[in-house]
Amino acid sequence: MRQEKYMMSGGLAFSEEKDLQKLRKQSLKGWHVKRFAFMGYKLERGKPEDVIYSIDFRPMEESEQGEYFELFASTGWARICSEHGFHLFKADKDTQPIYSESETTIEKISRMEKPVLAITSMMVPISIVLCILFNLSNGMIETISRWAFTGAISIVIPLIMTSLAIVYQKWKVRKKRTLSL
Amino acid sequence: MKSFEQLTDSVFYIMAALTEPRHGYAVMSLIEETTKGDFIIGPASLYTILKKLLEQEFIILYDDSDTRRKVYVLTEKGRSVLQRDIERRKVMILLAEKGLEKGEIG
Repeated sequence: MRQEKYMMSGGLAFSEEKDLQKLRKQSLKGWHVKRFAFMGYKLERGKPEDVIYSIDFRPMEESEQGEYFELFASTGWARICSEHGFHLFKADKDTQPIYSESETTIEKISRMEKPVLAITSMMVPISIVLCILFNLSNGMIETISRWAFTGAISIVIPLIMTSLAIVYQKWKVRKKRTLSL
Repeated sequence: MKSFEQLTDSVFYIMAALTEPRHGYAVMSLIEETTKGDFIIGPASLYTILKKLLEQEFIILYDDSDTRRKVYVLTEKGRSVLQRDIERRKVMILLAEKGLEKGEIG
């Protein structure tokens, strides 16, 4: 029997909540996430467990990690793996959430938003320039800029979708806060 | 990052706990015990707020001999910010208390 399998992620900016629910369902069936994989997770076979998962985003120095993981561990959240500033945690079903209020939840989303918006705001003008270039030029320059534009646009579209998804997530937390009055 | 104009309840509780030197988990436990479990701060929220308080110089690192349990304490600046927020909260409570006393229906 297979001892390892792959689960695809819906993209953390789009469906963090759904991913975590899916991981929980897998654990109930005896498949436990062990590490991040390319656009997804690697799961290992074990005994069924009733656990919940959480993801935090916080790029940090190695010297800061001891305190950070200790805080999570002492409240019942065991670290599973970390990559590119994302940290995946696991806890018993009734453990309190890692974010207890909206202000700090919004700050987490802002931390994720920053690098995405930085790259997007760099790539969009580049694509526009390339677009103008291949429309106005001819011959060799037209061919090159047309290819470059195709490449750029295939990066820009997912980037814009990710930016929008993050902005939407932030809006959702803000709305929930207003409604909780 | 936004600085603190009015302290949120979480920030207020954490600063109140750091009037004496404490490490993160001791801060969480104290708040949970004092409020009998009504107010619980998650580890990610606590960590975010500690970092912000350090940045604003409302707290300082008091003892980092145990790197997994760093101890923090309020600075003079932090103490006066907390004092100001106590005054703000007192006004709110006084208004509500007075209102309830006077405004009994029936």
